[in-house]
Amino acid sequence: MEPENILLVVILMGLTVYALFGGADFGAGVWEVNTAMQASPKERKLLFGAIGPVWEANHVWLIFVLVAMFGAFPEAFAVFCQALWLPLVLALAGIVFRGVGFALRTYSIGAERQQFAWEVVFAIGSTAAPFFLGTCVGALASGSLNVARDARFQGNFLTGWLSPMALFTGFFVVGMCAYLAAVYLAREAKGLGDRELTLLWRQRALATGIWMGVLALAGVAYVATDAPLLWDGFRQRSWPLVLGSIVAGFLSLYSLIRERYRTAVLGAAAAVTSVIWGWAVAQYPWLVPPTITVEDAKAPANVLWLLIATICLGFLLLVPALAYLLYLFKVGRRIG
Amino acid sequence: MSDLVLPAMADTAFNLLAARLQMALTLGFHIVLAVFGIGMPVLLLAAEWQYLRTGDELWKALAHRWSKIFAVLFAVGAISGTVLSFELGLLWPEFMRQFGPVVAFPFAMEGFAFFLEAIFVGIYLYGWNRLSRWAHWWCGVPIALGGAASAWFVVTVNAWMNTPRGFAMDGGRAVDIDPIAAMLNPASGPQTAHMIVAAYMVAGFLVAAVYAWSLLGDPSSVYSRRAMKLGLALGVAASPIQLIAGDWAARLVAQTQPVKLAALEGQFKTEAGAPLRIGGLPDEATRETNYALEIPGLLSWLAYRDRDAVVQGLDDFPADQTPPVAIVHVAFQVMVGCGVFLALLSLVVLWRGLRRRRLPDGPVFLRLLVVSGPLSLVALEAGWVVTEVGRQPWIVQDVARTADMVTAAPYVGWMLLATIVTYTVIAVGTITALRLLAKQSLPEVAKQPMPENALGA
Ligand code: HDD
Ligand code: HEM
Ligand code: HEM
Repeated sequence: MEPENILLVVILMGLTVYALFGGADFGAGVWEVNTAMQASPKERKLLFGAIGPVWEANHVWLIFVLVAMFGAFPEAFAVFCQALWLPLVLALAGIVFRGVGFALRTYSIGAERQQFAWEVVFAIGSTAAPFFLGTCVGALASGSLNVARDARFQGNFLTGWLSPMALFTGFFVVGMCAYLAAVYLAREAKGLGDRELTLLWRQRALATGIWMGVLALAGVAYVATDAPLLWDGFRQRSWPLVLGSIVAGFLSLYSLIRERYRTAVLGAAAAVTSVIWGWAVAQYPWLVPPTITVEDAKAPANVLWLLIATICLGFLLLVPALAYLLYLFKVGRRIG
Repeated sequence: MSDLVLPAMADTAFNLLAARLQMALTLGFHIVLAVFGIGMPVLLLAAEWQYLRTGDELWKALAHRWSKIFAVLFAVGAISGTVLSFELGLLWPEFMRQFGPVVAFPFAMEGFAFFLEAIFVGIYLYGWNRLSRWAHWWCGVPIALGGAASAWFVVTVNAWMNTPRGFAMDGGRAVDIDPIAAMLNPASGPQTAHMIVAAYMVAGFLVAAVYAWSLLGDPSSVYSRRAMKLGLALGVAASPIQLIAGDWAARLVAQTQPVKLAALEGQFKTEAGAPLRIGGLPDEATRETNYALEIPGLLSWLAYRDRDAVVQGLDDFPADQTPPVAIVHVAFQVMVGCGVFLALLSLVVLWRGLRRRRLPDGPVFLRLLVVSGPLSLVALEAGWVVTEVGRQPWIVQDVARTADMVTAAPYVGWMLLATIVTYTVIAVGTITALRLLAKQSLPEVAKQPMPENALGA
């Protein structure tokens, strides 16, 4: 395989892990918004306890994706940063406030009002971040960014990214995070032997899951009518992945009904994974459809190979450490 | 390299100013947290080590308290670092487009370093009761190593901006890229050494300052005394080394960036046997540095180890290639002044410690320590002003101008405004949380001879 394609796969894997792990951390905050900050202390304890030890490590996947992106596809990175600057800034604000909110909430012990204020900040940040990251993906995928062939953005800097597809994807990603979080938390509550919380999160997961199914159908219909380039990709290449995500989604819902939480988690993760890869395969070889391809944007081959080597070596070091972290805090509590 | 200039853009000048200010603000903020990310794990390991060695619960209380403080600082550090990663693209897309592949390698390595750090921070903070005592200590070691490693890698990027290597330019693109040669550029050695030592100094002296302050209120607290000693030990060990590292950095600037050296020293005319100017205010209109104390021949000697060496003056360079002299010179004086003061203080502490086997702890000494913390921080920020402003108008010395790299997206001013507000909120929130932590009561052991507010904030 050419080095640029290997790196593309690596970047997508990073994005997938970020969605599965970091996304669930965002989802926990989304649920705080959904329940209008009315969660009971017990519920919150589960929620924050689940995020505590892992959110910083989960967050680094995003940095990983960013660095790999500008190292491997500098041209595309520069275009994203200009054309999508506004949603990126808003997503960044969400990420910042989510993190600050979480950290300061955790350590504002004994000051209840402050703690609650940071909880609100955390919740809003956690919802804004996936929403705006989602709009970036949607804006790209829709093929409506006005980028010239020499990679200069020529659209409107305030509104160029806005499209129905972008907004739709924003909501879809928020929903995805909420679904992942609900399924994980149901399993985690089960692991702790708390029947009441298990059922609560199961119910929430089921409700979100059904909604997500409906949204996904609407999304496919929308792509078919409004994003021809992507639709061709779906029809020609990535339909197995689309089918796979439907099957996995049903599997996770069915397992929730049957109270088989481990399978539900795996199903949810598989569904999200196939959505991401389905999108990527459909969009390939365009990084910014319809003007910039992987070929146009890639860095020189020696740089790409060096990055690949670095990443391999890095993960050789990281994987055992990461496994140890998850083993300590998640095994027997939740997967992911 | 005027052939690289972008198509004319409205508002470029304003964008540039706003983008620079934003970069300076966010980096200046991040670096404060980063030095704790580098230095604090060392202090934590020392305190926990003492506990493991002596079994004294007071040391454990200290390590425990510090690990919470570290958790807050680390989280805010990670967030402010994330902002920087986005900003590189959001503010300087053209820089990333042209040079992204050149600098991606050290950034990727930095990424792995703090990935490792973040993983072990999770284990360390939440693992107090889940791991055996020594296993827990060992989980702190990768944090300390990871912190120093991330600093090393990211500072090589900055060093590369000062002494760019490992590529050639062709039609507005970097070609023939050798990322490793770029990372191992001539400035990397001195700059990374100087930065990492600076991080230990700042973390050490700030911690010492906080506990010196509380000892002024309650001289009998064993807890505060031990905490102060650990911080002081780190600061004292690092300061004398910093003189050597600083000299190394300065000689490298003399060799590779003569314009910057001239600005550092307020040297307008080219002269042999140039004097070292202590203090003084460069006047760009009259091309003279006034009010300085001049020591003949010393600058030539410091820069080239030869009292009669020729030092190039600013007048030798085209006016559109020189940095704002006054800012750079003053910042440099401030850094060196603080550095010399702290090194002298450290030598006194070492001398007294070795001679009398006891630390000085009179009120005068404690007061000196209280100011030493902020002074080390001032030196750190001043040092970055020297490096960054001293490189202007170049973003990559002699290769690319800052003005050509800035984003064309409008509204950078608004972004700056939002950033200022956000960072103020974060700073206030962080300080408040640290104060709350300090007010929490310590376990019984630590209580006996110690005041409520042992940490200050
Ligand atoms: C505690 C902080 C601290 C202290 C006490 C000093 N410095 Fe420093 N200095 C820094 C913290 C710092 C820094 C913030 O870390 C910088 C900015 C960029 C860098 O790599 O290090 C720096 C940069 C810097 C540079 C510019 C390097 C460049 O642009 O490539 C020079 C020439 C010196 N320093 C020299 C000195 C000397 C001669 C000192 C003598 C006492 C000194 N510094 C003390
Ligand atoms: C962390 C400590 C650092 C501080 C406090 C700092 C400070 C500054 C300051 C004051 C400026 C504004 C210069 C001016 O207005 O003339 C600036 C600009 C800049 N810095 Fe740094 N800097 C730091 C490290 C770095 C590093 C490690 C990089 C690596 C990429 C970097 C990249 C830049 C860029 C791209 C600019 C904008 C262009 C320029 O004005 O030079 N900085 N920084
Ligand atoms: C352009 C410049 C910089 C960028 C893009 C950057 C990026 C980042 C990022 C993304 C993180 C978060 C890692 C995490 O999620 O855990 C981080 C943390 C860190 N950075 Fe920076 N950084 C820059 C400058 C610096 C400099 C100059 C230093 C030098 C000392 C430094 C030292 C650290 C350290 C030690 C951490 C660990 C987290 C902490 O201790 O707070 N960084 N940086």
